[in-house]
Amino acid sequence: MPQFGSDIFLLIANWIRGLFGANTYAADVVMDIVKFIMIYVVLVLAVMVFVMLERKVCAWMQLRVGPNRLGPRGWGQIIGDMIKLMGKEDFRPDNVDKWPWALAPMFFLGITIMVFAVLPFGRGMVPVDLDLGIFYILAISALSVLPVVTAGWASNNKYSLLGGMRSVAQMISYEIPLVFSLLGVVMITQTFKTSAIVEAQQHVWFVLLQPIGFVVYVIAAMAEINRAPFDLIEAESEFGCGYFTEYSGLRFGLFYLAEYANLFLISAVAATVFLGGWQGPFLPGWLWFAIKVLFMVFLIMWFRWTFPRFRVDQLMHFGWKVLLPLSLANIVLTGVGIYVYQLIFPGIGG
Amino acid sequence: MLRTDEIQINIGPQHPSTHGVFRMLANLDGEVVTKVESKVGYLHRGMEKLAESRTYPQFIPYTDRLDYLAAIAANIGYVQTVEKLMGVEIPERAEYLRVIFFELQRIASHLIAAGTNSSDLGGMTPFLYAMADRERILDMFEMTIGGRLTVNLPRIGGIIEPPEEFWPALKKFVDDLPGMIDEFNGIITGNEIFQARTKGVGVLSKELAEGLSITGPVLRASGVKWDVRKNAPYGIYDRFDFEVPTGENGDCFDRFVVRLREMEESGKIIRQAMRDIPEGPTFAKVAKVVKPPVGEIFHRVEGVRGEIAYYVVSDGSTKPYRLRLRGGSFINIQMLHHVVPGWKFADLIAILASLDIVLPECDR
Amino acid sequence: MENSVLLKLVEELAQKLDGEFEASLGTPVLKIKGARTTEALQAARNFSGTPCEFLHDLTAVDYPDRNEIEVVYHLTSLRGPQMIRIKAVVDRNNPVIDTAVRIWPGADFMERECFDLMGVKFNGHPDLRRILLWDDFEGHPLRKDYVTPSVEERKRLRIMQPGE
Repeated sequence: MPQFGSDIFLLIANWIRGLFGANTYAADVVMDIVKFIMIYVVLVLAVMVFVMLERKVCAWMQLRVGPNRLGPRGWGQIIGDMIKLMGKEDFRPDNVDKWPWALAPMFFLGITIMVFAVLPFGRGMVPVDLDLGIFYILAISALSVLPVVTAGWASNNKYSLLGGMRSVAQMISYEIPLVFSLLGVVMITQTFKTSAIVEAQQHVWFVLLQPIGFVVYVIAAMAEINRAPFDLIEAESEFGCGYFTEYSGLRFGLFYLAEYANLFLISAVAATVFLGGWQGPFLPGWLWFAIKVLFMVFLIMWFRWTFPRFRVDQLMHFGWKVLLPLSLANIVLTGVGIYVYQLIFPGIGG
Repeated sequence: MLRTDEIQINIGPQHPSTHGVFRMLANLDGEVVTKVESKVGYLHRGMEKLAESRTYPQFIPYTDRLDYLAAIAANIGYVQTVEKLMGVEIPERAEYLRVIFFELQRIASHLIAAGTNSSDLGGMTPFLYAMADRERILDMFEMTIGGRLTVNLPRIGGIIEPPEEFWPALKKFVDDLPGMIDEFNGIITGNEIFQARTKGVGVLSKELAEGLSITGPVLRASGVKWDVRKNAPYGIYDRFDFEVPTGENGDCFDRFVVRLREMEESGKIIRQAMRDIPEGPTFAKVAKVVKPPVGEIFHRVEGVRGEIAYYVVSDGSTKPYRLRLRGGSFINIQMLHHVVPGWKFADLIAILASLDIVLPECDR
Repeated sequence: MENSVLLKLVEELAQKLDGEFEASLGTPVLKIKGARTTEALQAARNFSGTPCEFLHDLTAVDYPDRNEIEVVYHLTSLRGPQMIRIKAVVDRNNPVIDTAVRIWPGADFMERECFDLMGVKFNGHPDLRRILLWDDFEGHPLRKDYVTPSVEERKRLRIMQPGE
């Protein structure tokens, strides 16, 4: 049953392609530019919504009102904040390592944006539908430790350095359970392609087949993007602000943007891999995707405003002694499950 | 083996979790603190010197500024000292009112202590819960005297009679108090991460606590059953029936739990005081000019952060010859040097948070 | 009564250490020479029956007319309501006294404060520096002859001088 509205973006895309007629090469180039701009626009809009949502959710959990002055119910606040951040002086402290210091926030955001290329936003709405989509996501997001440690090192500040050093330990340790938690789904679908994974969830979402994988993924991903309770890298009660202590104005804004973009990213991956992506009745696919992403974002915010922070060694213990064995067990369990399934229904799936 | 250097890191005086202008110099070997040196005095105002040029009643507002979270504790300690020196007996009702306000202040301060303890460990939400509950106590202070933080409530010879609407508000608050503490236990005490962060961390042994002259909840968390209200009663505290909660291990978790349980006990005291309070005046007859006889007095009360003691030397004039303030914070801080080395940097923050210091009281 | 036992013990101690004994508002007060402080503190700590083993407070009072500084120790106990006050008299021009840090590690900050504000030097203190005031502060403000700088003087100090 074709759903109303679900093909809006596809129609627009086809219309643009149609303008170039037979010249498919030019159409591809133009489409790539359009896709890139769209990713950026969606990202910035989503981050604006998330920042505001975070403040509202946190206020709601803390029995407060939250921002309520600018715009309807305070939702204009985010525009004011952005203008303020952009209007700040571009201040560079003395003795920072100039180029690494200036480039770190840009790389941090750049790496995050790159990952969005393979996310299926709706049916047929994958900007670049790579065969190695999941692999690409993991590979690129693993890079994000580099700008963090660069920022920590180049800031020439002990707090930043300690934050950066913690980030290396934390992000690399949690990378492994993160990869393994997604492996179960890949074993079932036998593909890395994000769109194929979503297609495979037409009847049952993988969160039901892979509950352990889902839990491990959410925890590891929260640690990966340094959200509370794993925000040891920032740890405002210990380090002031961790690796971005020395950043202000627009550079701080870039870090902030990247952080929420990362939140968007892990929620989107969770929605794609475990919650059935665009699959859902009645509503258009891209709307379903947005709803699932928002649900994940809310869940992660809920954790943040409920739990205290881990200590650094406890974090390591939790990563290596709990999450890693759990994710390995999940892989074994999935393998056994697939084998048994194939014994019962030979020839189906596999 | 890789040779590594220690780094020296400066925490404070402007730092989110030093609770004011407290400064620590910590030597870190990776994440492990090898040495910590505390620097106080950024808020030194020379209270003891100021007292020598103020008359006795004039100094009461200064005691507000000692511990801004527990102004009434310092107020009452001071006026009781002067009354003891002058031999003034205050009316029954005033004694009961003092107990009620003192215990309310203790609850308010412990709420903040518990809230900041959790926010220093990264959980912001309980802090806001604590603030919301404390707001009700401050509202009661406001309806009594107008001030909220620096209340300047008692006078030498008595205390101000609260208005009519104070009593229903107080009753409602005391009835709601167990619920508030349950909520706190649910959101923070029972939390696995909180327990992992605080249990067994920063253990202060009984012997060390006694040797370091530590008082208050920190001492009790180390297993010493000592409370001035119970063991050397002042005022009318011998009339109330309450427990002295103690910890067993002397770790951060015990210090946190002891404070929560003290809040319950304070609630019990307030309930008994509300039941027994007699009618009558709230001011004794005191001469307009307060002129204590020559002599000296040392009086201690169970303050919120440790024992508050005043040592007043009077030369018979209207101004004290020498006034010494002993607050809990200043002396409790010394514990850091002995306990922190060997713990992680994050534990340093947890230990400091569990110590619950207030810097104006420390620096005076 | 416990208090009478304590009063008697302190009186005996006063005779032993050539000190003066009095009871001020019920509190036994022992006044001794500065040189015998450690003995007195140790003895008070080990009073049989009513030990005063908890150093509650340590401070000093300045008496310029007698040319004396009294270092005042308030000893209490965590086992009972007993409390004694020991006053160690030292010379005002050269106030030196033995430290109590070896008996109570907690005397550390209190002695530093006493040194800072009153100028009493504690022999054997591991780290006798100013604690509340800044290191290059001149004078000891709690002494009676300390002259507080005038408002104009303080205003002048607040303005940063060229080259500072």
